[in-house]
Amino acid sequence: MKLRHKISLLAGGILLLVLLVCAGVLLLYARKTILALAEDQARDKQSALAASFSSMARYYAVPEDSDAARESLIRYCFSRFADQEGVLMRGNETLCSSVAVDPSLYAVPDREDSRTAVYRGLVDGRQLLIVSSLEYVQADTLYVGLVRDITEVYDAIGRLTRLFLGVCAAGVVLGMGLLFLAVKRSTEPLSRLTAATGEIADGAYDKRVIVSGRDEVGDLGQSFNRMAEAVENKIADLTEQNERQRLFIGGVSHEFKTPLAAVRLHGDLLQNAKLSEAERADSLQHIRRAGAYMTSMTQSLMELLLLDQAIEREETDPAALLSTVAEVAHDSLAARGVTLVTECETAPPLPLNPTLMTSLLLNLVENAARSYDAEDENKTVTLRAYGRCFEVADRGRGIPTEAQEHIFEPFYRVDKSRSRKQGGSGLGLALVKAIADAHGASLSLDSQPGRGTTFQVTF
Amino acid sequence: MQNRILLVEDDQAIADAVALNLKIVGYDYARFDDGQAAADSLTEDHAFDLALLDIMLPGMDGFELLSYMKKYGIPVIYMTAKADAASEIKGLLDGAEDYVIKPFDMMALMVRMEKVLARTGRLNRIYRAGDVELDDYKHLVYKAGVPVELSPLEYAVLLYLMKHKNLTVAREQLLSEVWGFEYMGESRSVDVKISTLRRKLGLGDAIKTVQKLGYRLEDR
Repeated sequence: MKLRHKISLLAGGILLLVLLVCAGVLLLYARKTILALAEDQARDKQSALAASFSSMARYYAVPEDSDAARESLIRYCFSRFADQEGVLMRGNETLCSSVAVDPSLYAVPDREDSRTAVYRGLVDGRQLLIVSSLEYVQADTLYVGLVRDITEVYDAIGRLTRLFLGVCAAGVVLGMGLLFLAVKRSTEPLSRLTAATGEIADGAYDKRVIVSGRDEVGDLGQSFNRMAEAVENKIADLTEQNERQRLFIGGVSHEFKTPLAAVRLHGDLLQNAKLSEAERADSLQHIRRAGAYMTSMTQSLMELLLLDQAIEREETDPAALLSTVAEVAHDSLAARGVTLVTECETAPPLPLNPTLMTSLLLNLVENAARSYDAEDENKTVTLRAYGRCFEVADRGRGIPTEAQEHIFEPFYRVDKSRSRKQGGSGLGLALVKAIADAHGASLSLDSQPGRGTTFQVTF
Repeated sequence: MQNRILLVEDDQAIADAVALNLKIVGYDYARFDDGQAAADSLTEDHAFDLALLDIMLPGMDGFELLSYMKKYGIPVIYMTAKADAASEIKGLLDGAEDYVIKPFDMMALMVRMEKVLARTGRLNRIYRAGDVELDDYKHLVYKAGVPVELSPLEYAVLLYLMKHKNLTVAREQLLSEVWGFEYMGESRSVDVKISTLRRKLGLGDAIKTVQKLGYRLEDR
């Protein structure tokens, strides 16, 4: 059952109950008032009749009269005042009456006190109001009654009741209709919200609801839109991240194919072919080199993956960092005939992760060393620290302009075959970028083809 | 005349392995690690029966290189790490004869090479090992110039060993390639044929038994 049906039915029920109670109270009050009025009128008339009749009869009656004379006097006096409602009785004997009932059976005045008796009730299918009193003329006790047919009054009350109930019913029907419309109107945003939620759940993350009104439903709509936007952004982020990871994994598996192919081919040769000692040694060497290459690549990959977590920092003296880098890089640079020059100007200690920063600078230095060809002369790499900045500069072949924007992408190589021959994993600069990002440091490069490259990491 | 192969591959390790394989089974070859250099060299020397091309090459990529090969009528087999269907379809539609994806199996590559050479009518069907010559055009075998009578199965085994000269051939391989079906538990028949060949052709030393694997016809 829909909420708007529930609310409408509940409200309609309450309305019906309230109207019925009000109408009932009003009806009862009206009935009581009308009947009391009718009774008062009847009483007034009866007492006027009784008083006029009895005083006239007493005035003319003398004890010496015979019974017959007295009776005719009484009849005469009564007929002077009574109309067709009046009834005069003596004992059980009706002296004067134009109604079909015997009122003394219903309204019986008490002989002890002189009050009037009143009866109201159904007699022979008619609603009768009977008022009676006892009057004393000489020795006679006379019963003076008034019999009034009030069936019409009851009919009127009945009509009034039906009218009231009709008005109530119409009110309830009309009220419920209006209520239903009002509730429907005010719950419409909820229906829209429900529809929108369904669509979002089915994947339409760009769906929004049209918010109207400043009530709770409007607030809900606004909150809902905020939530939907947050969800959409999050989903977009995740999708993008997923896509990046997919490309990255594709890159990784592609990168592994070449060394794996080498391992397999040389392995087969070693197992199956008749080789000279020199050929055997060559094949083994190729397998070892492919293994070393894959090892360095997996190490870089692990480092890259670990960089997703928050890094630990400590205040580090740049000069100490530079000497560590110089020490570690020394052997491989010497093997290439490259000289490393370190310059440390008065640089303040910086909050950084020394291990990661060493790795970053080492990668930049190695990268710079690879910018020279074997036959180049005066191969120098400069590593500087000044202010909140580290700088690695070479005077090697430089990076072509169109390659500069891709240089930090994983597995991007300006010159694929040269990079591999020099032992580059294709991840060095990607790692540099990731470490700089993890530190919140900015990374920039300035390179002129043929004249050299300078990388800067600024905190 | 030996078949001559053009090998263009920039990865040293793979190029070395392929070149060594070609050499020991008796192909002649020229190798380049740069696409442009390979294309340039063709004007001077384009007497190749087949080209093995990498796709991602410095200088000029394998797809571009294909048009040079077409110009001189050299059939091409790509060997590449590009495993996506789009590249493979492009390579084959452009006119390459075959497409192998790294890491590949050298035996499989050599079968493909042989198929391409045979299809293009360039396959050299005369094989030599020491003083034994097998003429697959005439189905004749000579020992020091003298014809030797061989049964069809003996001939087929010798041909297979010749094609994979200096490489170990497993018994199972011989069974499935020569006998043509799975000869379960009957590898003894291979041993019998091998010993006949050794006797008839005086190849007692040249056909080596490789423990637990099979046989190798050595000629180097």
